Amino acid sequence: MEFNSLATAAAIAVFTGVGAGIGIGIATGKAVEGISRQPEASGKIMTTTILGAALAEATAIYGFVIALIILFVKWT
Amino acid sequence: MEEAIESRVYYSIDIGGRSVPFITDAVVVSWIVMAIIMISVYFMTRRLKTVPDGKQNLAESLVEFIKNFTNGQIGEKHGKAFAAYLCTALLFLAVSNAISIINILPSGETLSAIFHNPALVNFKIGILPPTKNFNVTLCLAVFSMVIVIGAEFRYKGIKGWLKSFYKPTPVSAFIKILDYVVRPMSLCMRLFGNVLGALIVMELLYHAVPLFAPAVFGVYFDIFDGLLQAYVFVFLTALYIAEAVETAEE
Repeated sequence: MEFNSLATAAAIAVFTGVGAGIGIGIATGKAVEGISRQPEASGKIMTTTILGAALAEATAIYGFVIALIILFVKWT
Repeated sequence: MEEAIESRVYYSIDIGGRSVPFITDAVVVSWIVMAIIMISVYFMTRRLKTVPDGKQNLAESLVEFIKNFTNGQIGEKHGKAFAAYLCTALLFLAVSNAISIINILPSGETLSAIFHNPALVNFKIGILPPTKNFNVTLCLAVFSMVIVIGAEFRYKGIKGWLKSFYKPTPVSAFIKILDYVVRPMSLCMRLFGNVLGALIVMELLYHAVPLFAPAVFGVYFDIFDGLLQAYVFVFLTALYIAEAVETAEE
């Protein structure tokens, strides 16, 4: 029973991935729009997109790390 | 799967009656990564020629990439000073993130099931990336932050650095101090979480489908994701350095 509640908590923590997915999707979509409008600026747009994706992805990673802490740290 | 997450301790020392892990698998794999980088760089830069061929081309394109990267991000004036650290971090992270691709070689249990030979059960490579250990990534992130603060010292002077705390308004000093803690933490957590996440997905895949499928997904999870995260780490470090250098020039 105890493991059940921990697993539920970890599953809720991993839900942060939803926001990161939506965010990266929007950022990539806008980047594609920008490149198709101005193909010569693709280099700069590319680096900015990678940076933005990395920063947006961080929230998902924090959720994942918290889920791991919930699951694998020995709770006394 | 627990054995992928928990680090194996090979040697521990006693400090004040407590046994402290001294040599773990992350340390050993770091040595392997360092050996790979050093030997390959030694062979790449041996007998340099004016007209490059083969392995020298690879070394030159790597140096060119780092040079363009630092010139583009930090600026032509100061970029060269930071190229060495950024290149070292990039090489170490790229090799150590991607080294877990070696696990796609079938494990002993699979081999013995295929060839009906019980002697093969003990065959296991099991090299896990050192960056799945929280301490390794934290150490690298602290290195990056030391470089950033060093750049601020170097280009602003200690007086200018102290002044920069209350530059727009005095309230921003809190945010700046918070920045020095949050930035390395975020660098560290991003790398650690990504590598460990990819590792866990791959471990589950090895468990579910031991043959062929790991080879396909390993290219994405081990090589592509590892190289991307190494690039992102170096990119963010360069961005922080550029911020430190730029604000000094105003």
